Amino acid sequence: MKYTSYVGLEIHIHLLAKSKAFCSCAARFGDEPNTNVCPVCLGHPGVLPALNEEALFMGYRVARALGCELSRRTVFERKNYFYPDMPKNYQISQFAAPLGLRGGFEFEVKGETRRLAIRECHLEEDAGKLIHAGSVTLIDYNRAGFPLLEIVTEPDLKDGEEAEAYLRSFRRLVRHLGVCDGNMEEGSLRCDANVSVNEEGRGLGVKVELKNMNSSRFVRMGLDYEIRRQTARLAEGKSIQQETRLWNENRDVTETMRKKESASDYRFFPEPDLPPFEPDEAFLARVAGLAIEPPLGRKRRFVEALGLSEEQAELLVEEKSVADYFESALAQGAEARTAASWISGELRAQLLRSGQDIAASPLDPRRFASLLGALAEGRIQGTIAKQVLKAVLDEDKDPETIIAERGLEQITDKGALGAMVDEVLSREAATAERVRSGDKKALAFLVGEAMKASSGRAAAGTLKEIVMERLS
Amino acid sequence: MLDELRLWSGILSDPKKRAAYEDYAETWESRIGAFLQFSPDGPAASPTTEQGPAGALALVPFAVKDNIAVEGFRMTCGSRILENYRPPYTATCVARLQAEGALVVGKTNLDEFGMGSSCDNSAFARTSNPYDPGRVAGGSSGGSAAAVAAGLVPFALGTDTGGSVRQPANFCGVYGLKPSYGAVSRFGLAAYASSLEGPGVLSRSIDVAEEAFRAMRGIDPLDQTTAAPPALPEAEAAEPRSVGVVRGLGGLDPAVEAAYRGALAALADAGLRLVELDLPLLDYVLPAYYTIATAEASANLARYTGIAYGRRCAGAENPDDLVRRSRGEGFGDEVKLRVLVGTFVLRSGFQDRYYLKAQTLRRAIRDELAGALREVDLIAMPVFPTQAFAHGDSGMDQFQQKMADKFTCTANLAGLPALAVPTGLSGGLPTGIQLMAASFREDRLFSCARMLAPAFPLPEPPSFSREFLK
Repeated sequence: MKYTSYVGLEIHIHLLAKSKAFCSCAARFGDEPNTNVCPVCLGHPGVLPALNEEALFMGYRVARALGCELSRRTVFERKNYFYPDMPKNYQISQFAAPLGLRGGFEFEVKGETRRLAIRECHLEEDAGKLIHAGSVTLIDYNRAGFPLLEIVTEPDLKDGEEAEAYLRSFRRLVRHLGVCDGNMEEGSLRCDANVSVNEEGRGLGVKVELKNMNSSRFVRMGLDYEIRRQTARLAEGKSIQQETRLWNENRDVTETMRKKESASDYRFFPEPDLPPFEPDEAFLARVAGLAIEPPLGRKRRFVEALGLSEEQAELLVEEKSVADYFESALAQGAEARTAASWISGELRAQLLRSGQDIAASPLDPRRFASLLGALAEGRIQGTIAKQVLKAVLDEDKDPETIIAERGLEQITDKGALGAMVDEVLSREAATAERVRSGDKKALAFLVGEAMKASSGRAAAGTLKEIVMERLS
Repeated sequence: MLDELRLWSGILSDPKKRAAYEDYAETWESRIGAFLQFSPDGPAASPTTEQGPAGALALVPFAVKDNIAVEGFRMTCGSRILENYRPPYTATCVARLQAEGALVVGKTNLDEFGMGSSCDNSAFARTSNPYDPGRVAGGSSGGSAAAVAAGLVPFALGTDTGGSVRQPANFCGVYGLKPSYGAVSRFGLAAYASSLEGPGVLSRSIDVAEEAFRAMRGIDPLDQTTAAPPALPEAEAAEPRSVGVVRGLGGLDPAVEAAYRGALAALADAGLRLVELDLPLLDYVLPAYYTIATAEASANLARYTGIAYGRRCAGAENPDDLVRRSRGEGFGDEVKLRVLVGTFVLRSGFQDRYYLKAQTLRRAIRDELAGALREVDLIAMPVFPTQAFAHGDSGMDQFQQKMADKFTCTANLAGLPALAVPTGLSGGLPTGIQLMAASFREDRLFSCARMLAPAFPLPEPPSFSREFLK
């Protein structure tokens, strides 16, 4: 018997809005517990939510980037369930008329480009955080009311590898949009999954929901485990229970959290405190105006139009700031492949060392292009270029200024080089004699000595030619 | 400043007047129990803004129903679960009155969370009718109505979800305004049924009621359901010319029926054209109203758990146990009933039968009334089928009280402004009539009330006095 598996994802992202979804408290991580709170996000009697349009705007931007139809009338609803860290014991969410519907998003997996259908995007608020400390339970409400965007995909993924690939692509997209930092460990990006297995050709099986996968790797492992578990049960003639299971990262298994019978009835109904939101043309124009080239499309363009390798292009588009930097440098005259290899090689290493951000570093795209220009023109050579790069980062000066101040320009003048060579040959007469009698290793030593004498600035090819000429 | 308000302005800062006022209030309070907290010298009884003394309500005392937040006072909502709750903020409607210089003297009794028509559903006190302490003051804003009727404040705030301002105003013989939905901010009003309710005003003077309404109304960024009144065409006069009279209203007590007929006659005498109306959907008002109100209540009251504030049960084993027992101990029976009904009507798979059907009815009722109010300037109806009923078992039971909300709930379902107008006494108890106008046409209600005033001098309860104002 052959089986087919179906995986859909429910991804929650914390939007990087300045304030919470329905009050003006700061939406910020890491502050002292219960400092970013007010009567509204604490659910005091009598308070009302006031929609933060910035969060909604970000939601529309994500929905647009995922190819969704943007709702011209989006409605908020109350999702009712009791949980100790939820101040109102209902969550303001969206159900019947979410802000984005029916989209699709391209990603790469196993060397192919796939399009995953998106069911919907909706805006909602996060709950607080329970902290169990010995015999007491404490609540931190700082997170209560954080704006969350939930993205629900169709169950069109096959396995953990596909889900992980999609999730990485999606994470890269929201980081490029600048609406989420994508940090799964801190919970600013969370991924739940639904998974079912059925005999081939018979459609979706019994759905199991999977939670508590705190990294993209755990998403892959959890799904693969769950697909194996369900397939094995079916093969033994057993049935699958509709339930919610948790990934146990210590034991690498999924475990039952709750059965279907104890599932909540959320009793959705329209939030009477918030009027429906009807974006006007100006709002939608602003959403469109901030659209970005999808990272995957950008990568394809780098490969096809600029001749970069897959790996180089992939590295560049991982961060939008890096890809933007790269393209600015090209606009300043840098050559694509050289720029790409310097960005992902030496520049990256130097920035890591100095702790600087590429977008704000003293080596702006213009300086970077000018440095690569000096290299391309042969006025400096590779090792010198690295020194100049470091000096620019340290001293915030133009590369040309550093080259001039330090006299780092390459020496190509045959007369000057000849004088240096002659001096070395007279100092190292014995070695020169060995070369004349055929010792090739000794030749390299002499060339090296001459290079030292030029403080590394000699044009290497010309220098070697002169040494050989003198000894022939 | 209105003459009536000038009389009240500053009485709390004049030691002699204040002493006389406190004596007067004390005498009444021992009989009617209108207030849950009364502190004319309390922290909130001093002007909060610099322009206060110059405002339209400068140094005028007023009372606030105890489901509206005022910093410096507790807000119990008449419920054990909020017994000692002190709100860390002040409701917008109160803050706007304070900005005009008005001073909060106390918080008035109510049915728990506004659920009831008698004030007998309060966990803390029983409020009685100033005309007959054996009878209820009405509800749920019964404390505010009784305080105003007894002359303890020139006006008081109530809240009206299904008649909770108008019915007690009617029982106590005072004006009771329920503004259009969205005219006055709900921020700071502990929610019972969010889409139906809003703050309202009770007063013995229609001018004072209008003054307070003007101070409170307008867009509030903290309540996104507030709206500005639509601009009126120049020619539109506030003065109404026609009144719709609903055909075939049955089930009224004879005294109520007679007073209603008398009021209609007075309207005709005042020059208004009476137009008979059919409102067939009126029969569906109650089921639609109670379905929506309880559904919203089930969510609105979910926040009371004893965790972050409010009454917490002793010795809870875990968070779930704490929530379950705190709610069990903290809520009264009527609240529990409505939360259960609301939970029931919202269950998935049953919404078509209850909640969604109620919303469909609501839209139809709203359309029917809007249509009628294009033909006539106002609609007249009784407020309640009976006069103030007796406390306890000899009065009306909870179900009868709900059935009697039919005339008042209509305005809440449709979001329309409505006003209870006192029309004198019958058998020693107040009577009145209800006027309803198109959305944001409160001006017509005030105007019509003034047209009726000469025919119906305001009644005064026994031992009513204004000596302390002199």
